[in-house]
Amino acid sequence: MERLSPRIRPVWLTAAIVQAAVSGGLLVGGAVGLTRATDLADAVGLAESTVVQGAIALAVVLAVVRLALAWLRYSVWRFELREDALYIERGVLTRVKTVVPFVRVQHVDSQRGPVERAVGLATVVVYTAGSRSADVAIPGLRPDRAEDLREELRRLAIESEGEDAV
Amino acid sequence: MSRLHPVTALTKTLGYAVQWASVPFFLVSILSGAFDVVRIDWVFSLAPVGFLLGAAYGLVEYYRFEYELSEDTFDLASGVFSRRDREIPFRRVQNVDVSRGIVQRLLGLAVVSIETAGGGDTEATLRYVGEGEANWLQREIRRLTAENDEIEADEQEGLEPDPTERPEPATAGTSGDRRPTHLFELDQVELGLLSLTTAKLSASMVVAVVTAFGGDAALGLVLSLARPFGGPAQLAGASPLEYAALALSSALYGAVATYLVGVVYTFVGYYGFRIGEAGDDLVYERGLLQRYSGSIPTEKIQTLSIVENPLQRAIGYAGLRIETAGYGPDGGGNQSAIPLAKRSRVERFVARATGIESGDFDRPPTVARRRYLVRYSVIAAAIVAAAGAAGIVWGLPYWYASALAVLGAPVGAHLRWTNLGYDLREDHLLVREGFWRRRTHVVPYYRLQTVSTRRSVFQRRLGLASLVIDTASSRTFVRGTPTIHDLSLSTARSIHADCRERLEDARRTRAREERALSVAFT
Repeated sequence: MERLSPRIRPVWLTAAIVQAAVSGGLLVGGAVGLTRATDLADAVGLAESTVVQGAIALAVVLAVVRLALAWLRYSVWRFELREDALYIERGVLTRVKTVVPFVRVQHVDSQRGPVERAVGLATVVVYTAGSRSADVAIPGLRPDRAEDLREELRRLAIESEGEDAV
Repeated sequence: MSRLHPVTALTKTLGYAVQWASVPFFLVSILSGAFDVVRIDWVFSLAPVGFLLGAAYGLVEYYRFEYELSEDTFDLASGVFSRRDREIPFRRVQNVDVSRGIVQRLLGLAVVSIETAGGGDTEATLRYVGEGEANWLQREIRRLTAENDEIEADEQEGLEPDPTERPEPATAGTSGDRRPTHLFELDQVELGLLSLTTAKLSASMVVAVVTAFGGDAALGLVLSLARPFGGPAQLAGASPLEYAALALSSALYGAVATYLVGVVYTFVGYYGFRIGEAGDDLVYERGLLQRYSGSIPTEKIQTLSIVENPLQRAIGYAGLRIETAGYGPDGGGNQSAIPLAKRSRVERFVARATGIESGDFDRPPTVARRRYLVRYSVIAAAIVAAAGAAGIVWGLPYWYASALAVLGAPVGAHLRWTNLGYDLREDHLLVREGFWRRRTHVVPYYRLQTVSTRRSVFQRRLGLASLVIDTASSRTFVRGTPTIHDLSLSTARSIHADCRERLEDARRTRAREERALSVAFT
């Protein structure tokens, strides 16, 4: 089983921090706005500051969970090219093992977003005709490995007959 | 290249004219309220300009929209400023639908939609063409699709010179314009039962919108309906108890109204439903006011699903849906093959199409039921907690009645578990799930796209796993993807491996099988 490049970890952590900041900001901002604009806090019988502090605590907990998940995601992620299928294992809370038979591959992309370019990584996206096609993406590959993988997948997909993949 | 029906020029011109005239109207109305510089009387000069520009745009768009049937593609050229040329290979066509609304029927017009796999939308929509032209297009595309498939099949046979694999020479596909062989027709009793037993959740939107736009009359009605339950005399300044009564009665009457709207909608939509077979295609038509007709090539069928709700189960009826990879008017490439019929009849239909008599279902282990019990108990506890909080803070009376929700948890858990099932057949995988809307998917192995094993934190603790069987059917809703829930890990692993093997096997004998499927429908 092949692992991703460890450089994907900072990318995921950064993304998690940004997401945590946005959702935490919304949460705390919403709490402040609600307590200021309405007398919700009084109705529940709590002080305004308690409500806001609660929101901050919740935001911090969520942020920690998010970061932990992002950290652990790397250690779970694995993939492998098997004889007739691409095999992927991922997911921290819900562990998902996906098998994509090469016959079902419609086309293969390699993508490099701005953050990925900055750390020198690439993502290979495998499209199938299935309704969950967007699920099959392998992030955190070194650009040369991504190119190789794309070529290999393309070759394997063609080899396993060019029939109607639907 | 042909153009759309000339009436389209008129509808497009008027449509864009009104649309473009309304833009300055609203902009000026809004801006004049905000800025002093903008004066409301600008409307009188800007709106006519928008009207003329829109009319011109609509007319040009009409003249620049052209389509053509070539030997192996459907070509479409459109767009005023950014031109778009599109070629749709016939062998990629999933289905061709024709729909006609009331006004369109009076004018002899129709809308033709061509669906392919992939993309998130209908590939080509011809709005409007003449009725005769629409039917000709539908027949012709079907014929050409069938021909192209045969050519492709022949080429493939050429590549693999294996005499035993060669299918019988096709006899049906060439004559796409034959009269369809009748397969199923919805009779009056079935239509009545279908309408009465179908709950349309989307109908609640209609009820909500009508109520919202009904103004004082609707408000008065809602209030007067709530009064027998102890509702308030006016909306403002009532006690919490009165508001609760109002909410309760509104929810009750809203549900009744939703049900009635749903009944009418289903009746109108499925009136005169007929499905038959023409060549290698299933062709259907339905509808009282808006008449839909469409065709589904049998070899593009992905899965068959038997769908039934508790009411229909109680009276021994069921429906059958066909899923393709296209996108249809019913949300996804999901067409009713049999809207509702006696269950035995639906099963016969499935048996003819797939050779499966009836499922002999295995259930997940009972530890799965325990899992649902815990899940539903948590939900019930949350409901009680919320009601309790409301009772303490707002003085909601009888809040402890919500404790009844706890009783629902074991019932719900058992019903969910008991309706789960799976069955591995030689060529097909049967997956059953759901209580409110029980769906039994019949998935041929050679339609499998990806297979995933999913294990959440809780499932890992209990040694369970769910198997997600993805096909190219385009229903993207979560419940659309057939899933075998909460298998024991070892079973899940063996089915996972099995599915892959059988996909390989099925693919090798695919040509033969497909022929069998299309023959079975006749």
